[in-house]
Amino acid sequence: MQSELLVLFFVLGLILSGGAIVFSYFIMPHSFNATKVEAYECGIPSKNNSWSQFNVGYYLFALIYLVFDVEIVFIFPWGEVLKEVGKPALVEILIFFFVLALGLAYAWKKKALKWE
Amino acid sequence: MNFHETFFILLAAIIMIFSVLVVTTDKILRAATYLLFVLLATAGLYYWLQYEFMAAVQVALYAGGIVVLIVFSVLLTHQIHHKLVSITLTRKLLAFGIAGLGALVSIVTIVNYDFNTAPAEAMKVDVRQIGLHLVNTGHNGFALPFEVVSILLLAALIGAITIAKKEESNSDNI
Amino acid sequence: MYDFSQLTQAIHLFLVQHLNSSSVAIVELVLVGLLFLTMYAILGLTLVYMERKVCAFIQNRLGPNRVGPLGLLQTVADLIKLLFKELLMVKKADKFLFNLAPFIVVIASMMTIGALPFAKGFQAIDLNIGLFYIISITSLGVLGILLAGWSSNSKYSLLGALRSGAQIISYELSVSLSLLSIIMFTGSMQLSVIVESQANGWWIFKGHIPVFISFLIFLIASTAETNRGPFDIAEAESELTAGFHTEYSGIKFAFFFLAEYMNMFLSAALAATVFLGGWMPFHVSGFEGLNQVMDFIPPIVWFFGKTFTLIYVIMLFKWTFPRLRVDQLLTLEWKYLLPINLVNTIVIAFVVVMGWYF
Repeated sequence: MQSELLVLFFVLGLILSGGAIVFSYFIMPHSFNATKVEAYECGIPSKNNSWSQFNVGYYLFALIYLVFDVEIVFIFPWGEVLKEVGKPALVEILIFFFVLALGLAYAWKKKALKWE
Repeated sequence: MNFHETFFILLAAIIMIFSVLVVTTDKILRAATYLLFVLLATAGLYYWLQYEFMAAVQVALYAGGIVVLIVFSVLLTHQIHHKLVSITLTRKLLAFGIAGLGALVSIVTIVNYDFNTAPAEAMKVDVRQIGLHLVNTGHNGFALPFEVVSILLLAALIGAITIAKKEESNSDNI
Repeated sequence: MYDFSQLTQAIHLFLVQHLNSSSVAIVELVLVGLLFLTMYAILGLTLVYMERKVCAFIQNRLGPNRVGPLGLLQTVADLIKLLFKELLMVKKADKFLFNLAPFIVVIASMMTIGALPFAKGFQAIDLNIGLFYIISITSLGVLGILLAGWSSNSKYSLLGALRSGAQIISYELSVSLSLLSIIMFTGSMQLSVIVESQANGWWIFKGHIPVFISFLIFLIASTAETNRGPFDIAEAESELTAGFHTEYSGIKFAFFFLAEYMNMFLSAALAATVFLGGWMPFHVSGFEGLNQVMDFIPPIVWFFGKTFTLIYVIMLFKWTFPRLRVDQLLTLEWKYLLPINLVNTIVIAFVVVMGWYF
């Protein structure tokens, strides 16, 4: 039953968004105006293409995030068995976190966590 | 055909169609989006195999992490609004030939391989067992790999910072 | 007492008697679907109404009070208005991605709502990886926002989307780590098990100081993850027009709006479930009289009571704090919340192993 339910909720989201958009399409006005399909830019005609190069900072944060996300994936199963395993698990996570703290400290030192 | 089989065929179709679209589309961000669909359908396959944790990891890491990273890195490139250069016919034919050869090899291997019949009861891998293996220091334990992973992650972090961050000394020049 | 599974069992038995097995499954799926669709819509409308009233209360205004009694029908009227609005698309936009983005956002929020335990026996998806499932699905929402901003081909949208992306992924780490603290206590990620484990006291009381710290971090980080003020640089009205959904109109805009509110509901409900006992009544071990009085209040009232209290707190954040700058935002996460959270995780691991909790 569980796997059907997961699919059901996916379909529900699809029905909700798709259904409302289709419904709206039939009752909304359809009038064309050249200025209406311009990108909004405070009223003046938009200049250039907005798909341009962006700050490397976003990329850097995404990279650091990914490293920590992988770490979280590894410590979730650990967290689930901590209570029954006890002290050995504690020792392991201390080493694990120590190494990661080194990474965070390195990032901090290199000013990678600073927004520019 | 029951629900179980329909689900598999649907997922397989999504994976196949969108994998082809990833490499054939000429807009770079659309390729990333199609890749997202492929990764999500793969997560669906894991879920279909009742390997829920792996499915969630696939969604969280690949769909939520790597695709976001790809989107950010696409935005770093110049001229992303330009369409990719269309490929010449000879190249297309060559690629098609190689892909066909690869498919042939795979199909021949699969057909000839002597698969074991699966046990009637599917093995249930829950998170508790993964966790127990991760902290097990004895035989069949993964305690050491678990620690090595942290060092690998440290190396990845340092590498990431080195690539994406310019050095302090030449920051004045640029 | 007040067990929803009795009701669902009764319906199931009734259907089994009258239909064959495959149509029973279909009828049940349709029933669940209708129930959750209605709930999703009602919750969305209620939250928007509540936001306006809370905002008005803080700014010493009346808020909506014309349409229906106390303005209750105002959001319904707004929804109908939005349905009648033209769906515009920027000429230079990437049409496919532009249309896709609202779907991703709505589907992601829908799939997480189904996994919440609303009351005893009232939970659609109860996976044994419950919490991790919710974390992974919410991480999909950021893609909808990024694609929406990028495909619009508008400068405001793109800026808003990028900021929002960096913000959401950063704060997701703190959300996951603070949820981990309760997983360490219960030894399970299944939401129903987590709720059951709080029968003799909520984790925020049983786990005392360290759990309180992770509760605070969760509250801050999940507010930031839902792009709400004071962390709303992604759609800061006064500088970015509307951020990533600048170019969206009509019902598509409504979906981004709705999904944002549903995500706020989700984070409040998750905080209530994990830290404040979910539908579990307030119990103090030893006081049988009090416990029985508390048991008398239905679980669903407990759940929504706790959730809406937390939503009220999150709304207070938005209307009382000034907006953070992007550098302050990232500093808060990477230099304060994350290190504190890592240390707190170690402290909680000690507490769990040593048994220093109630």
